[in-house]
Amino acid sequence: MSAKINFYLLEFALGALARQRSKTVFISVVLSLLIALLSSFFFIANSIKHELLQTLDTLPEITLQKLQGGKHTNIETSAIDSILLIHGVEDANARVWGYYYFGQAQSTFVLIGLDPFEEHYTKTMQQVVQKYDFMQESRQLVVGQGVKDILKSYYYTEEFNFIKPDGGIVTLPLSGVFNSEIELESNDMMVVSKESAREIFAIADDMATDIVIQVANPQEVATVASKLQLLFPDARVITKEAIQISYKNIIDYKSGVFLTLFIVSLFTFFMIIYDKLSGLSSEEKREVGILKALGWKVELILKEKFYEAFIISCISYILGVGIALFYVYILQAPLLRSVFEGYSKLRSSFELPFVLDLQTLSLIFFLSVPIYVAATIVPAWRAAIQDADEVIR
Amino acid sequence: MIHLKNVSKSFMTGKKESIEVLHSIDLQIKEGELVILRGASGSGKSTILSLIAALAKPTSGDVIIDEKNIAKISDDFAALYRGENIGFIFQKYNLLHNLSVEQNIMLPLIPMNLPLELVQQKIQNVMEMFHIEHKKETLCAKLSGGEQQRVAIARATVNDPKIILADEPTANLDKKLSLHFIEMLKELKSLHKTIVVATHDPLFFGLDFVDKEIIIDDGNIQI
Repeated sequence: MSAKINFYLLEFALGALARQRSKTVFISVVLSLLIALLSSFFFIANSIKHELLQTLDTLPEITLQKLQGGKHTNIETSAIDSILLIHGVEDANARVWGYYYFGQAQSTFVLIGLDPFEEHYTKTMQQVVQKYDFMQESRQLVVGQGVKDILKSYYYTEEFNFIKPDGGIVTLPLSGVFNSEIELESNDMMVVSKESAREIFAIADDMATDIVIQVANPQEVATVASKLQLLFPDARVITKEAIQISYKNIIDYKSGVFLTLFIVSLFTFFMIIYDKLSGLSSEEKREVGILKALGWKVELILKEKFYEAFIISCISYILGVGIALFYVYILQAPLLRSVFEGYSKLRSSFELPFVLDLQTLSLIFFLSVPIYVAATIVPAWRAAIQDADEVIR
Repeated sequence: MIHLKNVSKSFMTGKKESIEVLHSIDLQIKEGELVILRGASGSGKSTILSLIAALAKPTSGDVIIDEKNIAKISDDFAALYRGENIGFIFQKYNLLHNLSVEQNIMLPLIPMNLPLELVQQKIQNVMEMFHIEHKKETLCAKLSGGEQQRVAIARATVNDPKIILADEPTANLDKKLSLHFIEMLKELKSLHKTIVVATHDPLFFGLDFVDKEIIIDDGNIQI
């Protein structure tokens, strides 16, 4: 056969698709929806992973949390003195922070107490400290955009009343709104002075929520972490890398579970196609037989079927990915995103960032197009290798 | 030109049972001859056409076309051989009904991937020859029996084959259309085509332009 492209064959394949319009439309719609579902999951997973990993980049290299009865409890600030003596530790700061549950909105915010004299390891916190006055006596509240929106819907536009564990009220004026490039980091965040945070959570002056440690040489993090563990056997030493791995694993696990379910449904679909629609109907068998009798090689018949399948699956791929992009990034993936977030009730919502990479698009392509093409070619091949003699009878 | 040497053909009817439809036949047809294979249904006429067209392989014996034995060639070579040498007019025409007249006629030319002008010229020639050009855009499903027959003949001749095989070509036609087909056969013979017609239609018997009539009876050639 000539190596040049046979445009007559391509035209014949396009004509065949047009002639079997209802079948073509049915397969395209079902395949597009399946690809859209698959793509949506990948896009959501990628966006959340991207957002979370960026958030995690802002974490300290090591966090030290005290445990009591297996539960996280406050730690004495005096521990810092011992920590700073460990070789390789650059800095150690006591953090006062916690989750503040806003009952009216059934939302949980992250409340952080800032000390302007401490070294801040996140860019966002550095910006907040530079812009607002968080001196010990300062009483002000700076919030992320998501928090602002929620507070506004409950008419908290000037100030906000925190309820202390003893039932008392701490009223702070709403001083400003901050944004960071990472929406997950800033969206559900409230920043107050460390003093105010202690008051709201009733944390004593010599206690802290946890202690964050900066290590001068990143390659020494593991060594410093093991020294910390020896020094504080009742504490949990958490490295940034460990958190990253655990978040990645959770998202990959959820993606994996979905992928398994998707492949099962995809194979069910192809079994239906294999059984009902592709190549094996008596009319199509007859057509294959006629073409063979007219001098078409098996290879040419398969090439024609390949063109048909490739055109359908590529159109479905483009449609499916297009639908998924619209669903995930324009509509913000209603219903599906909660499968990955899992804690949407606890945290205020955030926009899924646009993350689109060639690797994901290739993965979706190879999980859909070749499988469909194979499911079409195999029955056509079975029909094509049968004796064409029968058709002249 | 065509030589079937000691050819037998069996078909499997079950897992182990088979039925022999041709019994060691010998048949020679010269280039440019028009030969009628006569015989009742099931006598083995269509099987002989299938063997000549390399649509089936003999169980034993040789099928020699132009001094080449095609009895054991691969499917791909068989397709190539058919594309270059054979024009087949099927009993039920076997047109693709959802294609237009022009598209049906074009089918044997697609594997050749010829230049567009040449393809169009060849199609135009046969459509004119068999008076079907006014229906070129019409779907074959919408054609009358006679028109379908003309499309089938046009399709069988568009690749300018040396051999034209016709299997019960008038089985579905009335007498007028059958006579018209016979006229077209005469025309094809004048183009020096080798033509083999398998039929039991009496209209084909005793025609003066037929070179040979061979009677097939229960898989044997009657002398």
